[in-house]
Amino acid sequence: MTGLSRFAWRSLRARPLRTTLSVVGIALGVAVLFAALATDAGIEAGVGRTVDDVMGRSDLRVGAFEEQGLSAASLQAIRSTSGVALAAPVLEQRTYLQRDPLSTPDSTAEAYAAPVTVVGIDPTIDGSTGGIHQLLLASGRGLSPGSSSAALVPASLAQDLGLGVGDTLTLLGTNGPVAYRITGLLSGEGPDPTVGGRSVVVPLAGSSALFGARGASWVDIELADGGTPEAVSVALDQSLTFEPYVLSDRADLAASLRGSTVGFQALTALIAAVTLFGGAFLIFNTLSMTLSERVREIGLLRAAGTTRGQVHRLVLVQALILAIVGSLLGLVLGFGLSILIARTVGSLGDQGVPIDGPAVPPLGVVLAAVVGIIVTLAAALEPAIQAGRVSPIEALRPAYASRRSMVSQLRWLVAVVVTVGVAGLALWPIALGPFGLAGSGPDGGGLGRPFFVYGVLLVVTLLTPLILGPLGRLASLPFTIFLPAEARLSRGSLARDRKRTALTVGALTIGLAMIVALGGLAGSAHAATAAWLTDVIPGDLVATSIRPIAANEGVAQQLAAVPGVAQVSPIARFAVAFRGVRLDAAAVAGRDLASDGRLTFVAGDRRAALVALDAGGSTVVPQAVADEFGLRVGDTLELPIGGGEAVNERIVGVIARGLPGQSGESVLIGWSDATSHFGVLGADAFAVRFAPGQAATAGPALAAAAQGLALEPTPLSGIESAINDAFGQLFNLFDGLALLAVLIAGLGIVNTLTMNVYERVREIGILRAAGMTSRQVWRMVVVEAGTMGVAGAFLGCLSGVILGFALGGVTGLSSSGGGPTIPWPTIALAAAFGIGVAMLAAFQPARIASRISIVRAVQFE
Amino acid sequence: MLVTQPILEARDLTKRYALGESTVDALRGVSLTVKPGEFVALMGASGSGKSTLLHLLGGLDRPTSGEVILGGETISGLNDNDATRLRRDQTGFVFQFFNLIPLLDAAENVGLPFTIAGQDPRRGEAADRIQDVFELVDLRGKEHHRPDQLSAGEQQRVAIARALVNRPAIVLADEPTGNLDFTTGGEILEALWRSCAERGQTIVLVTHDAKAAAYADRVEVIQDGLIRDEIVLGRRADHTAAPLIARLAQLGL
Ligand SMILES: Nc1ncnc2c1ncn2[C@@H]1O[C@H](COP(=O)(O)OP(=O)(O)OP(=O)(O)O)[C@@H](O)[C@H]1O
Ligand SMILES: [Mg+2]
Repeated sequence: MTGLSRFAWRSLRARPLRTTLSVVGIALGVAVLFAALATDAGIEAGVGRTVDDVMGRSDLRVGAFEEQGLSAASLQAIRSTSGVALAAPVLEQRTYLQRDPLSTPDSTAEAYAAPVTVVGIDPTIDGSTGGIHQLLLASGRGLSPGSSSAALVPASLAQDLGLGVGDTLTLLGTNGPVAYRITGLLSGEGPDPTVGGRSVVVPLAGSSALFGARGASWVDIELADGGTPEAVSVALDQSLTFEPYVLSDRADLAASLRGSTVGFQALTALIAAVTLFGGAFLIFNTLSMTLSERVREIGLLRAAGTTRGQVHRLVLVQALILAIVGSLLGLVLGFGLSILIARTVGSLGDQGVPIDGPAVPPLGVVLAAVVGIIVTLAAALEPAIQAGRVSPIEALRPAYASRRSMVSQLRWLVAVVVTVGVAGLALWPIALGPFGLAGSGPDGGGLGRPFFVYGVLLVVTLLTPLILGPLGRLASLPFTIFLPAEARLSRGSLARDRKRTALTVGALTIGLAMIVALGGLAGSAHAATAAWLTDVIPGDLVATSIRPIAANEGVAQQLAAVPGVAQVSPIARFAVAFRGVRLDAAAVAGRDLASDGRLTFVAGDRRAALVALDAGGSTVVPQAVADEFGLRVGDTLELPIGGGEAVNERIVGVIARGLPGQSGESVLIGWSDATSHFGVLGADAFAVRFAPGQAATAGPALAAAAQGLALEPTPLSGIESAINDAFGQLFNLFDGLALLAVLIAGLGIVNTLTMNVYERVREIGILRAAGMTSRQVWRMVVVEAGTMGVAGAFLGCLSGVILGFALGGVTGLSSSGGGPTIPWPTIALAAAFGIGVAMLAAFQPARIASRISIVRAVQFE
Repeated sequence: MLVTQPILEARDLTKRYALGESTVDALRGVSLTVKPGEFVALMGASGSGKSTLLHLLGGLDRPTSGEVILGGETISGLNDNDATRLRRDQTGFVFQFFNLIPLLDAAENVGLPFTIAGQDPRRGEAADRIQDVFELVDLRGKEHHRPDQLSAGEQQRVAIARALVNRPAIVLADEPTGNLDFTTGGEILEALWRSCAERGQTIVLVTHDAKAAAYADRVEVIQDGLIRDEIVLGRRADHTAAPLIARLAQLGL
C-alpha cells in the first residue's frame, strides 16, 4: 500500500497544474461551505446576544399595543400576579437631540442630526448593580430614583457628541426641549442593541417631562422560583384586563430574530452547495483525465500483477490526498471569507440581528472538511472503478481505441451526482441542528430549497451531453463566421469526450445560473420595493414625525398651505391584537387614497371600500394577511381594545399590497376608529402630494416647512434607494460568492482544455505539418473555450431565470409581490462574464498547444 | 531531357541536438537536389538522420546551419508563419504512425489542407480534388469512414491522399510502410508510384526497406548524418529490388 500511495503521490506531482486546480476547486467549495456555517454560527451567537441584551434577565415580556403604553394600573396588576418575581417597565421613544451651536464643535453636527431612542427605566429595579436589565457603566454613576433629570448614554455616543459625565444633553420632547444631566457613561451599545448605540437612558419618571403621561412600552418580567411562563401567562390573562397586550418569551424573540435571517442563511447554504457541486465536477474531471492519460500505465501495472482493488485504492488515495489538502486550504480560506461576510453584512433583517464574527464552530470545521472529503471521494468513485476495469491488454492498444458509449457515461454521471446529493442529504440535518438553520421553520423550506435548486442543476447538467451536438454547433456559430477552420476543428475536439465537455460546461452553467438567479431575485426585490412604494403611499414624499401629531395641531394644514402642495394625508402606524397575535395596522385617510388612485384591490369595490374606511367599522386587509388567516371580504375582525371589550371591523376590501409594518403588512383602519378605539393619538407621518409639475419648486419650501414643524421629509425615491441599498449590499455578497463558483468553473475549463491539448499533441502535430500556423492552433483552443463559454452562458442564463422565478416566491426577498422579472442586464453581464472567463481560461492551454513541436509530436508512437 | 531547375535544394545542412550537457549531431553537412517529377528515396540505418533530414526539407524544423530552398524560396530563412504557409501550399507529409485526426472522417481528413486555409472542402474545386485523390489511392466509397473504421493500410492511403490533394510541389513520406505487412505496404507504394508516374508528382521517401526504395528513381544512402552514396536506378516499371540490393551489398551495407 505504501508503494501504491507513493505512486499516487507521484502521479499527482507529474501534473502540477491540474493537481493545483483540483485542490483549489475543492478548497473554494469547502471555503464557501465553511463560511456559510461560520456565518450561521455567528448569526446564532448574534441572536443569543441580542436576546440577552434585549430581554436582560427577564423571562417574559408584556408588550403594549397602544400608543399610550401600559398604564400604572397594568404594571401594578402584573406585579401582583402570582409567579412574577420582578417586573421592570421600559419606555422607548425616538426623538432628536438639540444641539447648541455655540458650545459644541462643528464636527459633532452629524452625530446630533440623527435621531436617538430614549429608554426610560425604573431605577429602583434596573441599574448597574442588578435588576432585570443590567446597565454596565464605563464611568460615572448610575441613575437614582430621586433624580428625574439624570441620563446615561453609551460612551461611544457621548464621544461622538463631544460630551462627558457632568455635561448637559437636551432632548426634544412633545412640549419642547428638556435638559438632562449626564451622570454616567455606559459601556457597549446600551440597553437596546437594535438602535445601534444611539440611546439615552433616563428614569421612567423623567421621561414624562419629555413625552407627557405615557405608560411603559413594555414590562419585562422575571419569574419567581417555580413559576413557569405558561402559568404566568394564564394568570396574566385573568389579571391584566385594562389594556390589550402581547406576551412574548425569550424563545419567541429568538425565533423572530432568526426568522428575519432565514432567507440569508438559505441563500448562503445554497451557494455553498452549488460551489461544492462545481468543485466535485472539477475533481471528477481531473481524475477521469488522469485515468485516460494513464490507461496504458495502469494496463502495465495490471499486467505486472496489480490487483483490481489495488488500482481502486490507487485512484482513491489520489483523491484523498487532493481532498485533505483542498479541505484544509478551504477551511483557512473559509475563515477569511466568514470574516469578510461579517464585516460587509454586519447585521441582518429589519431587526438588525448582528453577525458575530469571526466564529469558529468546531462542528462546522469538522462538517465542512468531512463534506469536502466525501464529495471528493464520491466524485472519485467512477474514475476509480473505471481504472479497475482497465485490462492488461489495454497497455498494448493504440491510445484512441477505447471509446465508451454515451449511455454508460451518462449513467455514471447520474451516479456521481446522486452520490454527492445523497451525501449532502445525509449531512444536511447535522448542519441544520446546531447552526440554527432549523429556524427556517417546520415547513422544511430550508431543506427543500437547496435540493430543488440542486435538482434543477442536476437536470441541466444531465441534459448537457445530450444536447451537446446541436448546442455546440449553435454556440460555435459566432466563431464559425470569422474563424471557420478553427471552429470546425475545435468542435470536433469538444465532441471527443462528451462527458468531460458536459461536466465542464455544466460547472460553468451552474455558476452563471446562480448569478442570473440572484440577479432575478434582486430585480424582483427591487421591483417589489418600487411597487409598494408607488402603490400604497398616497403622495410623492413622506414627512415623518418622532411623536404622534394630533389632528387638532394643524400641522397637516400648515403643510398643505405650502404653495404647490396638492394634498397632505396623515398616516399612523400602530398594532392590534387579532386571534391572540400582534397585527400591524395603519390609520389612513381613505379619501386621499381614493383620489390618488393608490392601492390595488384584489377583492371588494375600491371606491365603496375607501369610503367605508373613513366612515368607521370597516377595514381593508392586505392579501398576505387575508391568506394567513383565511379571511375574505365580508368577514369581521374582532379586535380587543382592553377592559375586556373588542371592536368589530368588517373587511370591505383585500389589497395586493399594504403599508409595511414592523413584522409584515398592515391592515388599514380609518382615522375615526383608530383614534376612538385604538388609542392612536395622532399621525406619525404625512404623505405629501405635489400639484402636477410643482414638485421642483414646492419641494424645498415644503422641506423647510416640515423641518420647522420638527418633521423629517423623505422623498419616495429616497426611501426606495435606502431599501435598495440594503438589498444591494446583500446581493453583492451573494454575487461575490456565486462568482467563486464561476471561478471554479474557470479552473475546470483550464483543466479540460489542457487535457484536450495534451491528448491531441499528435493531432496538433499533424495539423501543423499540414500547414496550420501556430496562431491558428492558438485560436483553435481559444475558440474551443469560447464555444464552451457560449454554451455554458446559454444554459446558465436559461436555468438561472428558471431558478430565479422559482426561488422568488420562497426566499421572502421579494415578498410583497412585484412579480418575477427577467434580469436582462444581469443576463448580459453573466453571459459576457462566463464567455470571458472561459476564453481567459484558454490562455495557458492555448499557449501550450501553439508551442507544440511538430517534429516531436509526429516522431514517437 | 531539358535541364530543369531543381524543385528542392538542400545546401550543407547540419542539425545538432542539445541533450543536456552533451550534443548529438544528427546531420553533419548534407546537400541534396530534387528535380520536378523525381522520386527519391532516402535509405539508412536507424538513427542515421533520415527523419531529421526529411523534417528539415519540409520546413517542420530548422537546420542548425545550411539552407533549404523549396520552389525557389529559402524555407529555412522564413519565419514560422511564412514557413507554415509554404508548407501548406507546397508540401504534403506522410508519417509512419498516426496520420489522421480520429474524429474526422476520411474525406474530412483529406480535406484538412483546405479547411486550414479557410476553404470549404465540400464545395467547388476542393471537393473535386478530394474526389480525384480518393480515386488515385483507390479508396472510393470509403469517404465517410472514420479512421478507426479503416484498416491500417487504408489509413495510410488516406494520409497519402491528403498529402496529394493540394497538388504540392513535393510529397515527403517518412517510412509510410514501416508498420505494415508486405502486401499492404505494396499498395501504399503503388499509390505513391502512380501519383509520380501519372501526374509527375515529386516524392521524397524515407525508408530502410530496399523493396520500398526500389520504387524510386534514385536512392540516397545516409550514414551518420552524411550522404554516403547515391544509387541511380532510373524509372522502371517493374520495381524489382534486386539491382538495388546488389549495389547496397557492393557498398557493404
Ligand atoms: N529531438 C531530438 N533530441 C535529441 N536527439 C534527437 C532528436 N531527434 C533525433 N535525435 C537524434 O538524432 C539522430 C537521428 O535521428 P533520426 O530520427 O533522424 O534518425 P532516423 O534515421 O530517422 O532513424 P529511424 O530509422 O530509427 O527512424 C538519432 O541519433 C537521434 O537519437
Ligand atoms: Mg525516422
